Amino acid sequence: MIEVANVSIRYGRGIDAVDAVEDVSFRVENGGSLAFIGPSGCGKTTLLFGIAGLLAPIEGEILVDGTPVTGTRREIALILQNAGLLPWKTVWQNANLSLMLRHEYPQRTAETVLRDLRLLDVRGRFPAELSEGMKRRVGIARALSMSPSVMLMDEPLASLDTLTRERIQDLFLTLWKEHRFSLVLVTHDIEEAAFLGETIAVLSERPAQIKEIVDNPGMGDVDYRTTAAFRETLGRLREVLER
Amino acid sequence: MNGRQEASETQPRGSRLWRGLRHPFTRRVLTYLVSIIVLLALWQLTSGVVHAIKGRALLPGPFQAFSELIRSIAEIQHHFWVSAGRLVLAMLIALGLGYPLGLLVGHERRLDQFVSPMIYITYPIPQVAFILFLFLVFGIGNAVKVAIVAVALFFQLLVSARGAAKNISQEYITSVLSAGATRRQVYWHVLLPATLPDILTSLRVSVGLGMAFLYIAETSAALGSGLGRFVKGSMYRPALASAGIVAMAALGLLLYLLIDVLERLACRWKYTQQRPR
Repeated sequence: MIEVANVSIRYGRGIDAVDAVEDVSFRVENGGSLAFIGPSGCGKTTLLFGIAGLLAPIEGEILVDGTPVTGTRREIALILQNAGLLPWKTVWQNANLSLMLRHEYPQRTAETVLRDLRLLDVRGRFPAELSEGMKRRVGIARALSMSPSVMLMDEPLASLDTLTRERIQDLFLTLWKEHRFSLVLVTHDIEEAAFLGETIAVLSERPAQIKEIVDNPGMGDVDYRTTAAFRETLGRLREVLER
Repeated sequence: MNGRQEASETQPRGSRLWRGLRHPFTRRVLTYLVSIIVLLALWQLTSGVVHAIKGRALLPGPFQAFSELIRSIAEIQHHFWVSAGRLVLAMLIALGLGYPLGLLVGHERRLDQFVSPMIYITYPIPQVAFILFLFLVFGIGNAVKVAIVAVALFFQLLVSARGAAKNISQEYITSVLSAGATRRQVYWHVLLPATLPDILTSLRVSVGLGMAFLYIAETSAALGSGLGRFVKGSMYRPALASAGIVAMAALGLLLYLLIDVLERLACRWKYTQQRPR
């Protein structure tokens, strides 16, 4: 479970200090999913990095499974905007990065994950040789290789074409249902938020504050995009964003 | 029949010779050969022009130089290996000190604030100015010649490594930190591989700079061996001096090729087929 209580995060010091997140509180149950949506540069990524243990809040507390987050943790996986792949490492090395950095061998989990994501055949290739969709799948493989209980995603499908984006959204949904990790997604795409978020938190301009939390009980099915409930959620999100 | 069909029928497409010539390695070797031939032709032309203007053979042509090189091969070979040893050792020392220090300064902001002013002050000083002090410290043997070249290359590599480390995308660092990397692992898995292509480019530039400083170092001492000493000692025998200069060019070319091979092996990811976007 993720519990964020009255968290504020500030960048820099003195006159250069920027308040990125202010007094944000929310909770994601085990196996739940929460999508953050808000204007560009509002502090969404900062908030996510706070949960990942990459940034320390100046106020408030972040707990994952009841323990305060004071640094990166094995059970918290983060998928970055462009998958965060290292160009000088092969698909296999990138997928195994978290395990390798923690000196965890053998890496059978990564092999299974690569097979499931249909990447085993390209394990010897470098990221530059892959399509954008494949790169994102390698990023997912890296995150899944640690069998995390919390999956954080920072605009993981930005700059992908519509069809690839929807295909990978379907994959995220399947994996989320299969692995039952708690999912926190940051996106500026309303449809992505509505498709993957059980609840959707709409953030204000910087410093990020939660304007409203929209429930999205209908999500969880690949066909959800074609339903009236999906369109209704989209309308509701637009309304809150424009307010 | 259209033009394309005609072309495909006349071209010996399947022949082994044709495929061999189209191989990247063969093409590279051929390019080098053509460059060398053009260079030699220009040299011969310059030699001829100087002869015509001055009425005397002041600048030996390539034929004379290579004849002298073959005649004095044993002597030149000795000087060649002495210079090669000094240059390679100096490059390794400069790389071993300048590269890690440059990465540290480029990545650690506090260290950069402290060390950068020192670099800005010392880097523009012509390293030749240090020669006297280096002779005083290291004497007149081999050590001082290596030290002179190493000092010159150290600054070059330090500045390159610092710049390369500063230009690394934060995304890569965040990526490994979120995967649980320690500070040391950030250096090993991101900073080192990300900056390696830039450092190897800088090392290539260093070959020329190193040769120049090696010449100065070897000719500054009254006695000793090395190609610089050999060329200076052959001042009154231009053909022999030219043979020494050819040996210097060969040493430079050898080091360039060595760095190329090193880059192909260490930065394999740079040479993969980029997928079109």
